[in-house]
Amino acid sequence: MNNKNITIRDYLYEAPGPKTKRYITIGTVLSLICVAWLIYVIIRLFYENGQLDAKYWSIFTRATTWRFFGKGLLGTLEVSLAAMLVTFSLGMIMMIGRINRNKVISTIATVFIELSRGIPTLLFIYFFFLAVPQFGLKLPAFWKITLPVAISAAGVTAETLRSGVNAVPKGQREAAISLGMRDHTVFLKIIFPQAFRIVIPGLISELVIVLKDTTFAYVVSYADLMQNARVMISNYDALLSVYLVVAVIYILINYGLNKLSVYLANRRKRLQAG
Amino acid sequence: MAQATQAGTPVIELRHVDKHYGQLHVLKDINLSVKKGEVVVIIGPSGSGKSTLCRTINRLETIDSGEILIDGQPLPKEGRKLAELRAQVGMVFQQFNLFAHKTILDNVTIGPREVLKKSKAEAEQEAMQLLKRVGVDSQASKVPAQLSGGQQQRVAIARSLAMHPKAMLFDEPTSALDPEMIGEVLAVMTELASEGMTMVIVTHEMNFAKRVADRIIFMDAGAILEENTPEEFFTNPATQRARDFLESIQAH
Amino acid sequence: MSISELLSQFGDKYLLALITTYKLTICSFGLALIIGVIITVMRISPITPLKVVADLYVQIFRNIPGASLLIVLVYALPYLNIVLSYYTCVLTATTLIPSAFCSEYLMSGMNTISPGQIEASRSIGMTFMQTIRNVVLPQAIRSSVLPLTNLMVSTMLTTAIASQVPLNPMELTGIVSYINTHAVGGITAFVISAFLYCGTAVIIGQVGNLIDRKVRILR
Repeated sequence: MNNKNITIRDYLYEAPGPKTKRYITIGTVLSLICVAWLIYVIIRLFYENGQLDAKYWSIFTRATTWRFFGKGLLGTLEVSLAAMLVTFSLGMIMMIGRINRNKVISTIATVFIELSRGIPTLLFIYFFFLAVPQFGLKLPAFWKITLPVAISAAGVTAETLRSGVNAVPKGQREAAISLGMRDHTVFLKIIFPQAFRIVIPGLISELVIVLKDTTFAYVVSYADLMQNARVMISNYDALLSVYLVVAVIYILINYGLNKLSVYLANRRKRLQAG
Repeated sequence: MAQATQAGTPVIELRHVDKHYGQLHVLKDINLSVKKGEVVVIIGPSGSGKSTLCRTINRLETIDSGEILIDGQPLPKEGRKLAELRAQVGMVFQQFNLFAHKTILDNVTIGPREVLKKSKAEAEQEAMQLLKRVGVDSQASKVPAQLSGGQQQRVAIARSLAMHPKAMLFDEPTSALDPEMIGEVLAVMTELASEGMTMVIVTHEMNFAKRVADRIIFMDAGAILEENTPEEFFTNPATQRARDFLESIQAH
Repeated sequence: MSISELLSQFGDKYLLALITTYKLTICSFGLALIIGVIITVMRISPITPLKVVADLYVQIFRNIPGASLLIVLVYALPYLNIVLSYYTCVLTATTLIPSAFCSEYLMSGMNTISPGQIEASRSIGMTFMQTIRNVVLPQAIRSSVLPLTNLMVSTMLTTAIASQVPLNPMELTGIVSYINTHAVGGITAFVISAFLYCGTAVIIGQVGNLIDRKVRILR
């Protein structure tokens, strides 16, 4: 048997009778014509505006172009990973605060979580870009993009982590206490390692959000993929092609990460079921 | 066939039914006819095709070749005609399959209201009588998740009965139940049988089969190997495989 | 700069900014729901080309960064002789991205319905459309309330990308950057915008929770 998850697509329809089969065939042919027409219209649009000219696309055959993109991508990944580490740390602190039995601490943590979740990343970026220097604090561009992106993602991360902690069966805690472990040992040695494994897919989805937010790095002139694309455009006059290729790069990376997240979540489900 | 001599059109009739899952031949030349008021129990080892057979009768499973007739009419292949025919054949599933978002009462009234176009008042009045009959009328305003498995299965039976079916199919109705709840569901089914309902039952409950069945069908590897009265079948099975099967379940 | 000073100088602009953010959020969210439903119908249709196109649509718009999409719409489309107003570009970006997520949430809402319930509705004689109307849609909608609430909040947060183009009137993020480049000590502006965003998010969340508690399906 294959391990593919059964979805609504597999059972919404019953096996078609002859009439239904005919409708499906007609629908397939008609929709194929529509799709082909749509592709034709798009290509014609590019052609009529001269956007298929070799000069716009030949830059992608040069190694230097890709080296420059690669450098930008490295910048993107550096910011993303650094932001992810900061997010994880902040998220941990917020989560531990939130599940604290002390009402005051848990309320404060909840307020911070709501603030982080309810304010757009760009506002945090502008805060670090425009307001923080007014305090006389000079941050390098790297941190001006990393910190706001991290703060913006921390609230959701805290909630993801909390859902993981809640998903660990109660008996685990009781068993550990009955062995004579102290409260914080139970959390560190028993609860959290299990919770972490549960939330790995969620954290990868979080990385996608972080990676998307790093595209605002141009606001603070940090050389990420998007910023390098802008530089490239000012040098080559190939705006459309460069922005489209960059968009596709982002889409492919995020698509890959999402696939990984789904794969890990399904594998976990299977291991638990088996 | 043995039934050919009996008067009247059979309620359910299968003629030379064949079905494959890829390479696997799951139904091999099945011939079966169930007359009005008859209770037919299908038994056999798991994977013998008995559930598949039961599900082909209202086309939850399609067949490759052969013919299925309900009350003398061939089973339509799709659309409104198929839906109309299904409304006349009740089905009870292993997993109850109650509608999770509807109350118990709404689960029973939705068929009569949507398919038979009955008024709300009429459908509800009848539904309450049916729920009372299966002993869960006090739960009418709850949702399925609040009921025990045994209660849910009795509601599922009431949901089927609300359509006034000509026949009812039971696909391992007690296999997903805790042991202490099997009895309450079998009791409802026994009562139905005694009232003259035409029933096709796939089950592993041999004592129930002995007590209620007019006829036992023994299936193995997609084929019907024996067709006999319960007395004959359980005391004197004709095939070696049936003897092996009966021994294996008595070993428990 | 104190709040009163700030409000006396920029109060009107702030009110307009709040209205602009709300307007963008509501329009985008409404359109995203409509498109999301259409895309979802295509994805569950038995017609393969429609499924493939709709799947591709979802993968593109759930994975593209907002900034990247907005830049393509504003700066790249004119090269194809498609010139949209800034407002249209922003609205398009803040609609397309949430519409993909909307479809994902509706799909997972539908996946909570067991195959058995669909078979059961067939077996009591419901036609395909009756099954959709009575069994599939009500359950899919009811289990999508919380994700769609979160989607509305994230749509509001996405509208902040409007600050990347010269929009008139400005929205809540654009006005903060405007004030900070036109006056000193504009930290108060951050606080006000942050408060308005966050307050709105909390209210949307509470309303969503309220609705969810009413319609949640026990399993």
